[in-house]
Amino acid sequence: MNFWDKITGNDMKKEMKAFDARVQKLPADYQTAWKEINAHLWPHTDFTGRNLMPIFDGVLGLLEETAAEGQSVQEVLGDDIKGFCSALAGNEGAKSYRDKWRKQLNDNIAKKLGK
Amino acid sequence: MLKGVLEGSVLEIISREETYGYEITRRLNALGFTDVVEGTVYTILLRLEKNKLVETTKKPSDMGPPRKFFMINEAGREELRKFWEKWEFVNSKMSELKERKQ
Repeated sequence: MNFWDKITGNDMKKEMKAFDARVQKLPADYQTAWKEINAHLWPHTDFTGRNLMPIFDGVLGLLEETAAEGQSVQEVLGDDIKGFCSALAGNEGAKSYRDKWRKQLNDNIAKKLGK
Repeated sequence: MLKGVLEGSVLEIISREETYGYEITRRLNALGFTDVVEGTVYTILLRLEKNKLVETTKKPSDMGPPRKFFMINEAGREELRKFWEKWEFVNSKMSELKERKQ
């Protein structure tokens, strides 16, 4: 990754676009679930969001495999998408204080920078 | 409680033969864990892989994208042995507790 990509997030934009193209090929109920997974996973991001890229890639792989098998998204993920996402992010149970403080700090900086 | 048990069960299933997520889920369902879904197994597999207890290979499937197959390794076997040891312990203590109740 070069410096320009690193500070602009250009590499991630490209990756997200590639993900979107893959999502478009999935059945409608899968696309809805993908949106929900996204919403639940982003809170687990590090400052840049780069830590989530391999996770997104893996989940999309899972969705593609199971969609090809003709399973419904309900059969694959069950009711607890939120729980699935926190298991994915390796964030089981409560966040530690350190995590909370770090998040606070990150949020404050983001706010000051105008997001 | 079920989480640790499921992880051991998945490892046990993998230890018998090289297999993939969908098959593991069906096995668990057939065993009576009816509310285990593929997503659950997927997160367990991720954890096993991260802890280097299994080896993975990608193989083409008749339909859709290539499938990820899982095979147990030495560290995995050791982990599985410990799991059954712990399980035996919990199992015997729980029976003991239940019998003493009366």
